[in-house]
Amino acid sequence: MNFAFDEEQKKLGEAVERLLADFPRLADPDPANAREKGVWDALAELGLFALLPPESQGGLGLSLVDAALPVEALGAGLAPLSVAATLAATDVISQFGTPAQQNAWLPAIASGEMRISAAISEAGAGYGLSDIKTRIGSGKLTGTKILVPDAEDASHFLVLARLDPKPALAIVAKNSNGLSIRAHEDIDPSSGLCELNFKEVALNDSAIIASEAAAQRHQDVSATIYAGLQIGIAARMLATAVDYARMRVQFGQQIGAFQAIKHRCADMAVMLEAGRSAAYYAFWAAAEDAPDRSLASSMAKAYCGEAARDSCNETIQIHGGMGFTWELGLHRHLRRAKILEHSFGGCAWHYERVLAATLAEIRSVKSKQRSAA
Amino acid sequence: MDFNYTPAETEFRMSLRRWLDEALPGGWGDTVFEPEDEDERAQFRLRWDRQLHSGGWSGINWPKEYGGRGATLIERAIFAEEMARARAPEGINIIGHNLAGPTILRYGTEAQKKRFLPKIISSAEVWCQGFSEPNAGSDLASVRTKATRQGDKFIVSGQKVWTSFAQYSQWCFALVRTDPDAPKHKGLSFLLIDMQSPGITIRPLRQISGESEFNETFFDDVEVPAENVVGEINDGWRIAMTTLAYERGPEDALGRQIRFQQELDKLLETAASLPAGGGRVIDDAVLRQRLGRSITEVQLMRLNSLRSFSKYASGAERGPDASVLKLYWSHAAQRLYETALDALGPEAPLAGQDPRAAAAGRFQLSYLQSKAFTIYSGSSEIQRNIIGERVLGLPR
Repeated sequence: MNFAFDEEQKKLGEAVERLLADFPRLADPDPANAREKGVWDALAELGLFALLPPESQGGLGLSLVDAALPVEALGAGLAPLSVAATLAATDVISQFGTPAQQNAWLPAIASGEMRISAAISEAGAGYGLSDIKTRIGSGKLTGTKILVPDAEDASHFLVLARLDPKPALAIVAKNSNGLSIRAHEDIDPSSGLCELNFKEVALNDSAIIASEAAAQRHQDVSATIYAGLQIGIAARMLATAVDYARMRVQFGQQIGAFQAIKHRCADMAVMLEAGRSAAYYAFWAAAEDAPDRSLASSMAKAYCGEAARDSCNETIQIHGGMGFTWELGLHRHLRRAKILEHSFGGCAWHYERVLAATLAEIRSVKSKQRSAA
Repeated sequence: MDFNYTPAETEFRMSLRRWLDEALPGGWGDTVFEPEDEDERAQFRLRWDRQLHSGGWSGINWPKEYGGRGATLIERAIFAEEMARARAPEGINIIGHNLAGPTILRYGTEAQKKRFLPKIISSAEVWCQGFSEPNAGSDLASVRTKATRQGDKFIVSGQKVWTSFAQYSQWCFALVRTDPDAPKHKGLSFLLIDMQSPGITIRPLRQISGESEFNETFFDDVEVPAENVVGEINDGWRIAMTTLAYERGPEDALGRQIRFQQELDKLLETAASLPAGGGRVIDDAVLRQRLGRSITEVQLMRLNSLRSFSKYASGAERGPDASVLKLYWSHAAQRLYETALDALGPEAPLAGQDPRAAAAGRFQLSYLQSKAFTIYSGSSEIQRNIIGERVLGLPR
């Protein structure tokens, strides 16, 4: 039993953090200016996309635990969301892809050539897998997806769809005939959210991962990765609030000396550390495919969603009038946190899932005890 | 990072499990419970402490030379988990095991270690903690109980308060003022006091819960040998901070987490079966959200503790980070008991033996007891100061 990262893992996280700091426009106060074209290539050159694919496919064959601290850095640094989406797609392809699919996709992912965004949500379908209407039939994909991040910059999309009638995943190239893209108007233009309309897009079997378990794993792993991004935001907000509270002087002293400020920062630190415990464990449970993988992902996504939200709110409050300005840019983290919070299950949805899973577990233990007696 | 256990760790767990199966009375936790009378319960817990010792399950991670088992911190965590899994009784000598022992191990002389540690491990001697005073609560460094040097002894006079288990204790570690002229943090010493000494008076204090675990303890010219100072004279503040880091540490948090987990499981069973209107309590959407959050929070107490264990096992010093653990579990646990009473609906006030009480009336006492969580071992306000100043580096 050891709940700690090793030195290599920590270095990887720090490397991603340093790399993102070289792209200051990522944190530009104007979210429309924040779409740094070079970040993707720099992350690919660093080897981020080679982390998860096996060595035989041009990767390093590392695990999701190795990705946890890099993901946290991606969250803090407001990296493009297609980076996180590509990591989740890599995981599901590595776990569920056929050998031919792995040969076709993993080397291209490892090199940074394939940039895979996630086309999951649909209007009115909520967060579950069961109300998805996009479907695959007779070799064609038809349906409409919303809130697809970085769609303009992606090369491919991982699409959640129904296949006789179970949930399945498909990898679809952006330049496919019948696919049209419309940019959303939304609260975080830096996320590049788009609506995708698939109108009888031709689909080979080779593009389909026809497994409900794959769709479930993709949702869990995505929720876990998003929890990691949320924890990155919470960490960056706390650091920003503490810096400001040490520098800003009012009533003749640094405002961080006032308990009204100090105690808010302490509560943020407590939430951050509990959120880290939740997120890191969820990464491990996903890496090991532990029996509580789904439960751990829900705990992490719900709790870290609250931690990110509260940390953004508190940090803006601690900055007073400056916090509400466009120029200071704290709204960038607030806006991104909201996008993350409402992707792959909101807090209430995940807390309900935690409760339902726990009640089911209690019932199953009880019935085993009864049949043993 | 690995949540799997080594074969040695698993063997430790299984051997403890086998021992517990034998040691606990039949029907324990289902039909057989602790005595309800407080004094009988204290004696029951003392016998349990000694039974653990005779089985070799005391001083788990303390060195063998002082009577410990010499196991790892991870095995110490497994011990806490297994004790809870078996719903084993609590001990009475918690303060000896979790506070006095680790402090003496860290700062005591060789003679002190040899004199005190084996008897803590065997619970031949039970300990209490003399820190707070009527005018030194959150402002602990302003303690006034004075210890005046006279030859090879100190003469101690003053009053301590909230001294849990003083009535059952043979020894007390106390923070006393040895230099009244020094700045307040610089004139304190950490003194080990024999509770049989003439001049000590104990008066029980009744708590919100109706119980009288804690006391006022009066010292009137009590003689204490000078060799009973731990660390340097007037360096007691630093030593007391270490004691508090242990008090707020993962051993304590994990032990509690497991109790909370049991209560939570019981609460979920109760909510799933208790009728409310035409359905069950569990059908209420708002309550479901609060229960989902409490399940998450109780699990995070465990994960926070395991992260701390791993950190200390790799050699990190214990320090202000323990306040993060304590602030987290104390508030999360209070929320759990608030939710528990809300879940019971109109019958929530019915407690104890009332035939109409849900879940055998178990949540009401826990609810009342939970009010202490955010006060003892440093109030939440003090924990936030510590985190703000010593973890985050904010100005004082």
